[in-house]
Amino acid sequence: MNDFWIILVGALVAGSCSVLGCFLIVRKMTLIGDAISHSVLPGIVLAFLLTGTRDSVPMLVGAAALGLLTVFLIQLFQSSGVQADAAIGIVFTSLFAAGIVLVSLYTQQIDFDLEHVLYGEIAYTPWNTLTIGGIEAGPKAVWIVGSCFILNLILIFVFFKQFKLVSFDPALAAAMGIPVLLFHYVLMSLISMTTVASFDSVGSILVVGMLIIPAATAYLLSDRLSGMIKVSIVVGVLSSVIGYYSATILDASISGCMVGSAASLFCLAFLFSPTHGLVSRLLKRRKSKERYA
Amino acid sequence: MGFIKTIGGVLAALLMLTGCGNDTAKQDEGNGKLKIVATTGMIGDLIENIGGKHVEVTSLMGPGVDPHLYKATQGDVKTLDAADMIFYNGVHLEGKMTDIFEMMGKNKPTIAVTEDFKEDQLRKVSATEHDPHVWFDVKLWIVAAGAVKKELIANDPDHEADYLGHYEKYVLQLKELDRYVQDEINKIPEDQRVLVTAHDAFGYYGQSYGLDVRGLQGINTLSEYGSKDVTDMRNYLVENKIKAIFIESSVPRKAIEAVIQGAAKQGHSVKIGGELFSDAMGEKGTEEGTYIGMVRHNTDIIVHALK
Repeated sequence: MNDFWIILVGALVAGSCSVLGCFLIVRKMTLIGDAISHSVLPGIVLAFLLTGTRDSVPMLVGAAALGLLTVFLIQLFQSSGVQADAAIGIVFTSLFAAGIVLVSLYTQQIDFDLEHVLYGEIAYTPWNTLTIGGIEAGPKAVWIVGSCFILNLILIFVFFKQFKLVSFDPALAAAMGIPVLLFHYVLMSLISMTTVASFDSVGSILVVGMLIIPAATAYLLSDRLSGMIKVSIVVGVLSSVIGYYSATILDASISGCMVGSAASLFCLAFLFSPTHGLVSRLLKRRKSKERYA
Repeated sequence: MGFIKTIGGVLAALLMLTGCGNDTAKQDEGNGKLKIVATTGMIGDLIENIGGKHVEVTSLMGPGVDPHLYKATQGDVKTLDAADMIFYNGVHLEGKMTDIFEMMGKNKPTIAVTEDFKEDQLRKVSATEHDPHVWFDVKLWIVAAGAVKKELIANDPDHEADYLGHYEKYVLQLKELDRYVQDEINKIPEDQRVLVTAHDAFGYYGQSYGLDVRGLQGINTLSEYGSKDVTDMRNYLVENKIKAIFIESSVPRKAIEAVIQGAAKQGHSVKIGGELFSDAMGEKGTEEGTYIGMVRHNTDIIVHALK
């Protein structure tokens, strides 16, 4: 069963991140996951200073608060005219810097880094179980990232038209009476919640990678947002399965191999996508050359 | 609804792929040995010494692996799953992994070797937190040895006599080691008993054997050191005429070299006293690949440089 739980958690994280990643690609904000992975530092330091423990609950609350603050600030800057990449860069570096200052002021003597107190490890999924009323209910991570996945799917499914229009053409969306800013904030909150919850279950690289790579792969394979979302979920889940078995063969880090597999799938799509692939484009160019030669 | 269908299909396929016939039927190798997993090499060495031929020990963090940077591999999942007992350091050395060990305690014995330490034996580093690097105080390591003996006997009472015998023999060796370290440290002139190192893994060592331990960084390998730390350290070395400072096998040399150059500019020469083992032991099969060898090596290096 261990294999199943680990792959399931990997697939659920990949699924959640892929769906959200599709909207981020469209808005050119994919690095927001990496941003959140750093900017939560002051949150966990403050949580530690307030509670005096490194237990996961206060750490998660602190991280979640800072995650929300991060996406809120990024959105605020961006809608006031700062470039998307600059907005991300400004917010996460300053918050991370604030975290480092806090660490150097108050927690020098203690092991206090994100790796240690916030980031989980997907390998330990099977043992971190949830017991409800004396009954073993499976790994905690499955419940946590599973609920994120379902919540993401439901919200995106119900408000698909609004999210789509708001991402592609905010001006048109506003003209049609859609509360653009509200939907931006909802999407950003989903991203913040999903990333922070997943950091706790599986660590950072898997989340940051899955937020970008499957969506970018799907972008090469599909021209419609709905198709792109489906493809990205499939790519994400496939990466989790292939990654797990490569980790078994190599005896290596599981999340590392999962992201590596996603990257390999991206390379395949980059080369061989029927519409946007390098190979098909070269072939097309040669054909048109022959025609006009 | 294509959405939901796709996902359902993928999940079903996943279940088929992994669910069938993969319910790891635990195969007993039948050699009758207890399969034990230890987190650090030091703990592994302790268990090998007390368990002798009745145990088969695997250490997750091998030679030169900094516990702060340890990454689990897929193989570690299997190792942990197949273990009969798991020993770890505790006092938060293993970070979030500690929670996992506590959870695993439901199914098999998971033991912190520091479980019998009294509150006042641990060094406080903040109001609520303690220094986890307990192994460099040999007296404390003897307490840890007691915990290992107790737990091995509790889980394998058939070999009680052997465990007890090994324990007593090993404790004698540890006591001799403890005396050796103290005698050697006493050879350093009193005003030179200062251990300056890049990593605060030697707090217990200093406390127990009467060395003033100065670190450039905190305990945390990853926390950034400031330029003020470097300046403070340089001034300290120059004022107290400290002859040597030490680097470690698992910490980068850069920070230390900045301090040495700073001191040289003020006309005080400080040399690098040699490499100390801190969070991990040396290669297996070498002298420093055992706990006793590692502590002796560190002590010899320190005494030689400061005497």
